[in-house]
Amino acid sequence: MPTILEVKDLVKKYGDFTAVKGISFNIQEGEIFSLLGPNGAGKTTTISVLSTLYAATSGDATIAGHSVSKDPMAVRKVIGVVPQEIALYEDLTARENLNFWGQMYSLSGKALKDRVEEILEQIGLTDKARDKVKTYSGGMKRRVNIGVGLLHKPSLLFMDEPTVGIDPQSRRAILDSVKDLNRQGMTVLYTTHYMEEAAELSNRVGIIDHGELIALGTQKELTRQVGEMETLVLHVDEMQDVQRLAKAVEALEMVRHAEVSDHSVTAIVPEAEEALAPAVTKANELGIKIRSVDIREPNLEAVFLHLTGRALRD
Amino acid sequence: MKKILAITFRDLRVRFASFVEWLFFLILPIVFTLVLSGGTGAPADNRVRLVVVDQANTSLSTELITALENSESVRPDLLSLDDAEYQFDSRRVSAMLIIPQGFAREALESGTLTLELRQQPNSLNALVAQRSVQAVISRVGQAVAIARNSLAEAEALRPFETDAARQTYFDDALESAQTLLAEAPDRLTETQGDTPDQIEYDPRANSSAGQLITWVFIPLIGLSELFAYERQKGTLRRILTTPTRKGTYLFGTIFGQVLIALGQMTLLVLFGILVMNLNWGQDVFGLAIMLVAGALAAAALGTMLGTFVKTTGQANGLSIMLGMVMALMGGCWYPLELFPEAVRSMVKVLPTTWAMQGLLDLVLRGQPWTAILPEAGVLLGFAAVFFVIGILRFKYE
Repeated sequence: MPTILEVKDLVKKYGDFTAVKGISFNIQEGEIFSLLGPNGAGKTTTISVLSTLYAATSGDATIAGHSVSKDPMAVRKVIGVVPQEIALYEDLTARENLNFWGQMYSLSGKALKDRVEEILEQIGLTDKARDKVKTYSGGMKRRVNIGVGLLHKPSLLFMDEPTVGIDPQSRRAILDSVKDLNRQGMTVLYTTHYMEEAAELSNRVGIIDHGELIALGTQKELTRQVGEMETLVLHVDEMQDVQRLAKAVEALEMVRHAEVSDHSVTAIVPEAEEALAPAVTKANELGIKIRSVDIREPNLEAVFLHLTGRALRD
Repeated sequence: MKKILAITFRDLRVRFASFVEWLFFLILPIVFTLVLSGGTGAPADNRVRLVVVDQANTSLSTELITALENSESVRPDLLSLDDAEYQFDSRRVSAMLIIPQGFAREALESGTLTLELRQQPNSLNALVAQRSVQAVISRVGQAVAIARNSLAEAEALRPFETDAARQTYFDDALESAQTLLAEAPDRLTETQGDTPDQIEYDPRANSSAGQLITWVFIPLIGLSELFAYERQKGTLRRILTTPTRKGTYLFGTIFGQVLIALGQMTLLVLFGILVMNLNWGQDVFGLAIMLVAGALAAAALGTMLGTFVKTTGQANGLSIMLGMVMALMGGCWYPLELFPEAVRSMVKVLPTTWAMQGLLDLVLRGQPWTAILPEAGVLLGFAAVFFVIGILRFKYE
């Protein structure tokens, strides 16, 4: 597969703060590539530079052979952008919004009209096309937000955390639509801080933290980095001293690492079932009541924990 | 060009998506224009109302009423005796004049003419009415006195052969005296004011021009709110990821707002012409120059403010406050001549001052387009400076 996006040593600074610290990666045509990382990791800044919104401080990227720094107008013609916020005119209807954005993508006449109807059909809002966007639910607005990015049939679609703040049903619909688009041949760069989304959608994942790309590969390649480790999660009541429990669990011989998140202790262990009994015993000794227990197979969360010592949602 | 028009029409649709916008676009400007002008049509008749009962119905009584109608102080209102007494008794009028039967030229000639004037106590208007009636009677009597004198002089030279000849001579003399008195000017004295600037004020013209500027400048300065809205919503960032240049976006947005403002001004001018009988259309070219120059200056100010404000709330508050203060200080609500000299000099830094003066030159002073070029030039100067600052400092993020 030919490379559609090539990022080389990309740096973006805001004054003294470096948001993106020299990241490099490629995306092949037809791929879904996820940038996974917590809030503030540099995902949106990276997409903003790649979509020509911000100029890179140093380094460059090429999209379909066009440099984002030297030929931004050519880049804009081949990319579609679905921003994190609902970037629509809420006093206009869905059709009026799509018409306007289509014109911004240089569509006009019958081509524009036909494409708007196709998109309305695709996002399932043909019946509601005459309603103002401000009357829509959060999920419906998200669908229009995505539809705008597809109007000009881009070769590469940037989706910046498109499922933030919506209900599970709408989230499922969006994930399915991303997979559909990919099946139709669209290349997608998807940013998220939800490990499950990256795991479900992506051919490859880049894990980004503090502006650095700390891991890159397929899910299998990444989980291999943490070996055959499993994750044991002990959920405790709100009033319990979770910090003491984490220290006690980490002291166990079979536990490689333990971390507190919310009211849980997440432990990386070779065999979760084997570690469960000693961990519960420690909790009893400390007088801490365990509410529930999760045992997870190796996943991207564990990879992130392994690489950074922090949980993804921290 | 297609993208510029797309942005322009988008702004039109967004702005008029709510009916409330029509309130600010047309309804309130018209209401305020009417309220501050004191009504529509011809200037209000501020003369004191004098109720007149004509029981004589003679040529002399008609002559008296006509003379009262021509008075600058009283406005005669002809009523029946009952109606007149009712209005007088209920103190709806300050004075009431009854012209009794027998009010005819013969009585005037014989010196037995009587009139009944009723006045409300302690009323200045009643006093004005009394003076006016006296002045009119004096004028009517003056013609008879002249005719009498003329008759006496003629008789002294040569007595009339018959009474009929004597009466004919008197009638001719009276008619000549009345004609000459009617054609004679009220005053021959010309008074020249010693103040350097004459206050030229017509509540209708001032209100129409002032409210036009007030209600058009505020939304144009509010262009800053549109920019803040686009930044806050993320639509500006999104536009800049499409194959659309920054200049296209800015030009389209500003062009749209200026177009809306020109439409609004045209409607308010038409209202002034059709409803308030104002002479807006005497120099259409000059009017067009002033409206375009004013709209550009205000839009440029809004663009410049757009570089300072961060939120729509800030922009909204600032544009209303600035618009109101600039309108007040620019003479849109009160004539600038009422302000102290120092203030009048200071407010020359405001575009509203120049816009108001230019519009008044056209609608109040009836000047040609060449006379408003200085004002239009200053407004275009403001526009150039504000646009340069606004566009160079514009925040796209």
